[in-house]
Amino acid sequence: MSERIGFFICHCGINIAYRVRVKEVAEYAATFPGVIVAKDYLFMCSDPGQDLIEKEIKNQDLTHVVVASCSPRMHEKTFRAACQRAGLNPYRAFHMVCVREHGSWVTESEDEATAKAIVLVRAGLMRVTNQSALYPSTFPVNPNTLVVGGGIAGMQASLDIASSGNKVYLVERQPTVGGHMLQYDKTFPTLDCAACIGTPKMVAVGQDKNVNLMTNTEVESVSGFVGNFKVTVNQRSRFVKTNCTGCGDCAKVCPVESPNEWDVGTKMRKAVYISFPQAVPVRYAIEKYDRGPCVQTCPAGINIQGFVALIKAGRYEESLKVIMETMPLPGTLGRICPAPCEGQCRRAEVDSPLAICQLKRFAADQVDWDALPVPDIEEKPETEKVAIIGAGPAGLSAAYFLAKKGYHPTIFERAPFAGGMLRAGIPDYRLPPAILEQEINYIKKLGVDIQLNVEIGKDRPVAGFFDEGYKAIYLAVGAQSSMKLQIENEDADGVLHGVDYLGLLNRQHPVKTGKKVAVVGGGDVAIDSAREALRQGASEVKMLYRRSREEMPASKHEIRDAEEEGIKIELLVAPVAVLTENGKVTGLRCLKMQLGEPDASGRRRPVPMPDSEFEVECDMIIPAIGQRVNNSFLEGTEGIELTRWGTIIADPVTYQTTVPGIFAGGDMFTGPSIAVDAVAAGRQAAVSIEKYLLGEDMAENRPVVNPAGKSWKPISKKVKPAARAKMPVLPAAQRVGNYKEVELGFTEEQARAEAGRCVDCGGCCECKLCVEACQAKAIDHEMTDTKETIEVGSIIVATGFDPMNPSKMTQYGYGKYRNVFTNIEFERLSNATGPTAGKLLKRDLKDPFKFTDPPKSVAILHCIGSRDNNYHEYCSRTCCMYALKYAHLLKDKCGHDTEVYNFYIDMRCFGKGYEEFYKKVQSEGVKMIRGKAGSITEDANGILTVKGEDTLSGRLIEVPVEMVILCTAMEARPDAPDVMRKFGIGIGQDGFFQESHPKLAPVSTPTSGVFLAGACQGPKDIPDTVAQAKGAAAECLALSSAGQVEIPPMISSIDPDICVGCQLCIGLCAYSAIEFNPYQGISEVNSAICKGCGSCSGICPSGAAKVRHFTDKQIFAEIDGLLLH
Amino acid sequence: MSEFEPQIVAFFCNWCTFTAADLAGTSRLSYPPNLKIVRVMCTGMVDPKFVIKAFLNGADGVLIGGCWPGDCHYINGNLKARRRVANLTEVLKQYGIGEDRFWLRWIAASEGTMLKEVAINMTEKLKQLGPSPLRNMGQMAI
Repeated sequence: MSERIGFFICHCGINIAYRVRVKEVAEYAATFPGVIVAKDYLFMCSDPGQDLIEKEIKNQDLTHVVVASCSPRMHEKTFRAACQRAGLNPYRAFHMVCVREHGSWVTESEDEATAKAIVLVRAGLMRVTNQSALYPSTFPVNPNTLVVGGGIAGMQASLDIASSGNKVYLVERQPTVGGHMLQYDKTFPTLDCAACIGTPKMVAVGQDKNVNLMTNTEVESVSGFVGNFKVTVNQRSRFVKTNCTGCGDCAKVCPVESPNEWDVGTKMRKAVYISFPQAVPVRYAIEKYDRGPCVQTCPAGINIQGFVALIKAGRYEESLKVIMETMPLPGTLGRICPAPCEGQCRRAEVDSPLAICQLKRFAADQVDWDALPVPDIEEKPETEKVAIIGAGPAGLSAAYFLAKKGYHPTIFERAPFAGGMLRAGIPDYRLPPAILEQEINYIKKLGVDIQLNVEIGKDRPVAGFFDEGYKAIYLAVGAQSSMKLQIENEDADGVLHGVDYLGLLNRQHPVKTGKKVAVVGGGDVAIDSAREALRQGASEVKMLYRRSREEMPASKHEIRDAEEEGIKIELLVAPVAVLTENGKVTGLRCLKMQLGEPDASGRRRPVPMPDSEFEVECDMIIPAIGQRVNNSFLEGTEGIELTRWGTIIADPVTYQTTVPGIFAGGDMFTGPSIAVDAVAAGRQAAVSIEKYLLGEDMAENRPVVNPAGKSWKPISKKVKPAARAKMPVLPAAQRVGNYKEVELGFTEEQARAEAGRCVDCGGCCECKLCVEACQAKAIDHEMTDTKETIEVGSIIVATGFDPMNPSKMTQYGYGKYRNVFTNIEFERLSNATGPTAGKLLKRDLKDPFKFTDPPKSVAILHCIGSRDNNYHEYCSRTCCMYALKYAHLLKDKCGHDTEVYNFYIDMRCFGKGYEEFYKKVQSEGVKMIRGKAGSITEDANGILTVKGEDTLSGRLIEVPVEMVILCTAMEARPDAPDVMRKFGIGIGQDGFFQESHPKLAPVSTPTSGVFLAGACQGPKDIPDTVAQAKGAAAECLALSSAGQVEIPPMISSIDPDICVGCQLCIGLCAYSAIEFNPYQGISEVNSAICKGCGSCSGICPSGAAKVRHFTDKQIFAEIDGLLLH
Repeated sequence: MSEFEPQIVAFFCNWCTFTAADLAGTSRLSYPPNLKIVRVMCTGMVDPKFVIKAFLNGADGVLIGGCWPGDCHYINGNLKARRRVANLTEVLKQYGIGEDRFWLRWIAASEGTMLKEVAINMTEKLKQLGPSPLRNMGQMAI
């Protein structure tokens, strides 16, 4: 059949005809092969225009129609429908050429515009005859709707849809619905209170059986298409179950405070909170982030933030309980732990790290250990016995945790005292024996038996304990032997190794000590030995260390204390020989060193300097360069393997040695390390031993000690630097010659202030006081996020706006001057649930959370960030009106004599009743100054001077006031681009979501089935927002009641005769719409999933994959038409 | 016509750049008539054949316009286009079609102004370069 084409060109009034000579184009078309009729008409899209097309199709028996008019994005559907009505398949018959947006409107000369139109028309005429008949498929519509955002727009749309009987999923990111409107006080111009008109909506969405309200929830991904969306939502755990009664007992006991987001930081809230009393749902939520870096670092996994928060709250016994959940020696480690946690403390970003270790000691010092209650223990049968070798920190810890589980551990210790290196290796002035003893006594109270003076080895081998009825054995003998210097005369009289020296001192006093003592080494044992020597009567103590001070492993404050006491530290010095006379020490020959390349430990390796030998005169030498494991206790036990360094081989997760039932830990497994590592090892061993005794897999389901993650609570800008508490110490003069404890411990005041410096990285500190306080038993700290996939037919995006933060406009001093408020802050002040219970008060100049007295004069600055080329060009549309409202509220609440100045550019009072409201406020005596305020300065008394120009009188003016309110711009949310991608909608130049058409499709988006409502689409006030929400709801309901949708047929297809099965397209398809058919060896398109993007057709090497309506033939014809000469 | 008027074939994606062209129109931004638009759903469907065909038919320049990376209506079709354009550019060079004649630009739906600028700049550039070396060869091929 021969082609019979009809061509129609539109004048669009004069929009096209004023540049394109439409008659000339029609005349050209008439000459084109196959064109039967070519006509022009004033408005092609009008009814008569469409009738014209339909008539011509019928009268002239047309097979194809080309219309040249506006953009196909505008009226393609209209003309396709006309063709269909006239009996043609619109996809085969119709093509639209754009001569308005791409022609008359963008071309200046009439000749050029006409010529361009002719070329475009030619391309269209050539394309149209290559088109094929296509048939859209129809799909049923799921009648449910997803509404994203629980502000007034989202709530209104939800209620409208719910009232039709269809189901709505209302997803809100915050713990409560309400949105910005509920933060406000009164609403202009009628001055009804936002809560009075807003809370009924909140309650309604909370109660309506057709609304599934999901708070604390965000949309993760959206798939599917109009009528058939699949949406994955993630409900963040709020750690409070639905049986919460909203009584608030939890918040009363919670020790963690943060600024309340709902009150834009003008008021504090607890870590367990509801945003405001009328929140819906009335269910508390706990704010949790990843555990703080301190908790992540502590080898023992102590809940540091928890016990610190409890100290801040003055709840010392609870604080100690938190520590002892994971670490049984708080007073001991609180004195000697080198505190790896403090190195990670984020408080250092503000000033210096928290004194975590010393706070731990404080908690331990506050309680009476003899009266400390023993927890309820479910006792296991007497036969559940565990033998523990060594009463050091690892052994004590393992015993403690086993005993708490009801087992019966017995510790066997060689020394006449328990405590291991804590007792033997640490001087009494650092750790008084009584402290250690009270903690060991407490461990004993839990049911731990400690047997002293028991030598394990040949006579009583380790393996023998199994025969004695012990079901598991834990080896924790530590690393008690000294490393040797390996230099000449090391065995001379007067050489005593550090560990041995300290050990002796803990058994007897005095220990024979020289007058002039040289200590070799730079670690804690070296420092302790040096300070001990001083107390034992040495007159001169020198420390010799082979690297520089930077590399000294001893803790910094210990080094400082030692130097204060008169100890000299010689750096970059290494001993080469002990000098003797008659077998007695007389001195030490040394070499000077310099630092070379870093070694395996990352520290720079000391290298001897040539010809630098010198001698140090001394009568005693204490080498303290390290410890090693003494394995003599293993005599008589077979099967336990050792490393070449003499440490024990054990599984790194379960700590079981090469003999089943025998476990090892502490220094004898890791090599010499710090006490807290040993305590941590003991806890891990206890976990393994319990699992071993229960016959469970020891590697599975172990408790997480150091949770990971770096999503911490941001440090509030309101945190001001404060000095770290200084540990009171005994004056240096009072220390020498005695063993009084040097560090005296914080005073209560100091400790609580220091604890207050914690920046609460994890939000909730997990002290669990709330769990005890909650009578409904609604709190569940183990609750996890829940993901859910919901199926809906339509989606309303109502994600709202953000008020602009004016801090960057430094000329207004926001954040610096206390009494410069933003509009939202002022709304919260005015609101009855805000920080001042509705009173309009000035801020205290010193304390941002304290409010004093009403202002006598206030300036309200309009257009802060709006109508400003530096920020947002657009008008925020609400500020003029709420500024008038503020003026009225100030007059109303602070007295009529309050001076109120409005600095405005233009007053935009465009809505119903707005102009009348403006008149009314003006009559109340509010001063209107036409001109934008330029800057604000503050004097010593907090008086703010606003400078600006009064453009009506042409004068520069300065107005002193007590309070300034900045009417900040409404801006798009920072994550709008993410939302845009998730829902397939667009963003305009202003950052807000773009509607399909600014006038005629104000709620539609490029993705059919996704609609916009409220301020996410552009700044608007409450009436407009509600109207738009209702519009969006109507769109959704229209879809639902139609019951089915037509999906455009322009999707891909793969020609099975051409496809070679290379599957390149499968890898490229972003929707996984292509599958390989192994029987035929070809790829096939699933037409229900395909979106028609054409990634496959672009890559297909054989040309088998094609997008319908965009085939090679069609595009080639168009190109031919464009380039024909 | 005394001055050389280059012929530009522009493949614009329906969602961003074609919409930007509509916006340029509604905003009455004028640009040279040399640029003529072929509407495609996504730059990811622009087969290299389309580009070669345009050059063979005598186009002096080809412009592909799509959404900014990350903003593709079809998730990542524009990234596929980018890779394809990079390869095709190398091939075209061997036939005397340099990078100056084959442009890929990201122009969002809201960037009508940018579309205008690209149209002006490309036309200017091609005027400087003169007619495509394939102009006559292409005529022979057809």
